[in-house]
Amino acid sequence: MIHVDITEAVLDPLAALSHCCADSHGAADLFIGRVRNLNEGRAVTAVSYDLHPVLCKNIFAEICREAQGRWGDHIHVYLVHRLGRLEVGEASVITAVSSPHRAHSFEACRYLIEQMKVRAPIWKQEHYVDGDSEWIKGHALRNPA
Amino acid sequence: MTRQIPIRLFGAFRQGRSDATLTVEIDTDARVSELRQAMSKALDSDSARALLKASAFATDTEILDDDQPVPEREISILPPVCGG
Repeated sequence: MIHVDITEAVLDPLAALSHCCADSHGAADLFIGRVRNLNEGRAVTAVSYDLHPVLCKNIFAEICREAQGRWGDHIHVYLVHRLGRLEVGEASVITAVSSPHRAHSFEACRYLIEQMKVRAPIWKQEHYVDGDSEWIKGHALRNPA
Repeated sequence: MTRQIPIRLFGAFRQGRSDATLTVEIDTDARVSELRQAMSKALDSDSARALLKASAFATDTEILDDDQPVPEREISILPPVCGG
């Protein structure tokens, strides 16, 4: 089972764990990414997330299918990301996986977040205490010419 | 023959702009590399042109290579990504 989404609503870890659950699954792993108050020495007050909604969900689903290809079709996979302005401490992303044994849950859950960070069309603009804002440099989706 | 291509802008490409698209004109049979050149000419700053070099064109379903023909679908320009 795969669940992917993008949302402006507050993320719910219990919804992720509810999806990642089965009688045959003895393990569930949950990762929460949060907005932190410091980046490269600058005090951060909030982050605004921009994303390409359709392509983002397509790539989320592709990453989840890859995880099932690696660790088995039977694993349950969950990947949801926030959109809009988030204050420090708010959850921006949740990934979760359940599987019969813990090794696959740990590995697949990490795969989801690592792949999402370098492949999903998502951008963040940090807002600083001094009133300045800056778009964060990220991973290029193309090879430079 | 030419056609107008509205390009959806994301992330830093929206900086200082009131609209979320930039429309450029290309030949009907143009490839993505030519779309890139047309967009570069339409951008108004060196920093935006530098960002364009590291950015990918895409549809709703795929990232486009520079040697592909520009598809008859909605086109977006994707700067380097940083989700999470």
